[in-house]
Amino acid sequence: MEQLKVDFDKVIESLKLSEESINFRKKNFNQFVENGFPNKRVEDWKFSDLNQIISSNIENLHFHTDFELGEIDETTFIDKFEHNKIIFHNGIISKVDFSFEDETKVLITRDLNQNENSKEVNSLVSLNNALIASYIGITVKENYSLTKPLIIYNITTKELKSTAINLKTDIVIEKNSSLKLINLFDDNSENNFINIVQNFDISQDAILKNYKIDHKKNSNIKYSYNNINLERNSISENFIFSTGSKFMKNEINCNLNDEYSSAFINGIINLKDSQHHEIKTNINHLAENTKSYQLIKSVLNDNAKGVYQGKIYVDSKAQKTNGYQLSKALLLSENTEFDGKPELEIYADDVKCSHGATSGSLDEDAIFYLMSRGLSNQQSKELLINGFLLDAVEKITDIEIKDLIKNIIGITE
Amino acid sequence: MLQIKDLEAKIDNKEILKGLNLEIKPGEVHAIMGPNGSGKSTLSNVLSGKKGYTVSGDVTYFNENLLDLEIEERAHKGIFLAFQYPLEIPGVNTNIFLKTSLNAIKKARGEKELDAIEFLKLVKQKASELKFDEKILSRQLNVGFSGGEKKKNEILQMSILNPKLSILDETDSGLDIDALKIVSEGVNALRSKESSFLIITHYQRLLEYIKPDFVHVLINGKIVKSGGSELALELEHNGYESLS
Repeated sequence: MEQLKVDFDKVIESLKLSEESINFRKKNFNQFVENGFPNKRVEDWKFSDLNQIISSNIENLHFHTDFELGEIDETTFIDKFEHNKIIFHNGIISKVDFSFEDETKVLITRDLNQNENSKEVNSLVSLNNALIASYIGITVKENYSLTKPLIIYNITTKELKSTAINLKTDIVIEKNSSLKLINLFDDNSENNFINIVQNFDISQDAILKNYKIDHKKNSNIKYSYNNINLERNSISENFIFSTGSKFMKNEINCNLNDEYSSAFINGIINLKDSQHHEIKTNINHLAENTKSYQLIKSVLNDNAKGVYQGKIYVDSKAQKTNGYQLSKALLLSENTEFDGKPELEIYADDVKCSHGATSGSLDEDAIFYLMSRGLSNQQSKELLINGFLLDAVEKITDIEIKDLIKNIIGITE
Repeated sequence: MLQIKDLEAKIDNKEILKGLNLEIKPGEVHAIMGPNGSGKSTLSNVLSGKKGYTVSGDVTYFNENLLDLEIEERAHKGIFLAFQYPLEIPGVNTNIFLKTSLNAIKKARGEKELDAIEFLKLVKQKASELKFDEKILSRQLNVGFSGGEKKKNEILQMSILNPKLSILDETDSGLDIDALKIVSEGVNALRSKESSFLIITHYQRLLEYIKPDFVHVLINGKIVKSGGSELALELEHNGYESLS
């Protein structure tokens, strides 16, 4: 905690902030100091004790970076796929490139002076508010669909060690507009804590497609919090590929604020060794005729642990809600653990809500069938696992991005 | 090509095959008939290497001890089992599965693997011979296939892999008369001096279309009677009762 206080002062000193903004940060800082990293006594964190995970994986955690950023290996950028770019390099924005777009339609701000009066979410969001050193806000103006997808590269390099970095993005999509977003993690660092907050305000008739890819094996610990507000007849499509980090928790809070809005969350957790990943969703149906759909597929090897906590809340106003969630897990070794916690909280009477969860091993008869056709045991298992996961990838509605993602994550048809 | 001597097989300490003897020479078609629970499916499972059985006795296949070979090695060496209940494999495209299978076998034999175009040509030709709708091949393996489509798919795999010993486990069950004809024609087209068949069936109906050289009656884990194709007819009239 001493380190935290010293680093907080350094951050405040290094950024030229308004007094209001400094007060906002201090308030958030105190909220974090009071609560610390969440532990398993906090209901939402009972399957993932972050406090314990951080203390056993990171020694002398720092909260401020003042070293040279280092070089980015540009060959890791996606090529043969035209896209807009934002690059977070060890937590600092090093590039913002919207050259494919009409600059009067896509507005960018990097102003760090924030003093929003948002309610306290959890200690990690408070930590993020207190410490962000780099911020980007994007507004897509009315009636504009970006001509190319946006890729946010989250790159860390080996210079980054035992450090907590905080990234924040706010995205507003105005009426009848759309954005396709890929969050791509490229970790070349070890034992850091990466804390990401993204807010999305999706206006009437607008569409957000948000694909998050954590595919490269690394020893970092990540928390990603997405808050999504959906207005009338808007759509939020989310896909999470969770397989690279030592620990990762993806939390999505999604408010279906007005009629005919819909949210889709599809995800893959694919882990080995002692990795531990969680997907936690809160879908709040707050208006009539809203729809949500969630499909999470998990494959666990060795000593890995997977968690899915999916909550669907239906307000008394939200008649004709259609809510669905399904979790399927493959446990490929005796030492794996999968925790699923579906939660339906329904206060309206005319709703269609269902959930399902299965976990089990690969079907031995199916392996026998494939091997009897000449495939090796390994080949048969790979084919079955690929087939198991393909289901979730096929839910991606953008064909071009679906092919790109299949390529990146190595899943074939 | 295949000699089975005193084959015994147990599962969960229950004896199923109790000293079975059988010899199949190249080009021969053998039919095994028997009542429910006589050990027919166990025989096909043991020959193709399914785990879970405690097996004793000798099974020699082209001068090799078959029981020492892994499941996929048996496939590489030309053994094919057409399943009684082909499995539905979600997420696995039928065409890609067929290509992976064929190339795994070719690779193991040191033959040149087929590229996508060569494979497509082969599969189109075989599918049309079997009057098998090509569209089905782009679907997930056996998922949502009708009973007849699943069995036809087995025969299509058989004709693509071109095995030396094909074991057909109750391939006729669940087939209507038209599908039965198509399946039988597919099998007959594969008959040659080199390839042999072991056809396991309840009824002699299939044997009207695929004429066997030998018919064996399997009761309670043993072959109790062997004869020519006329034995099947005899069984149809008298049932298995008279033999047990």
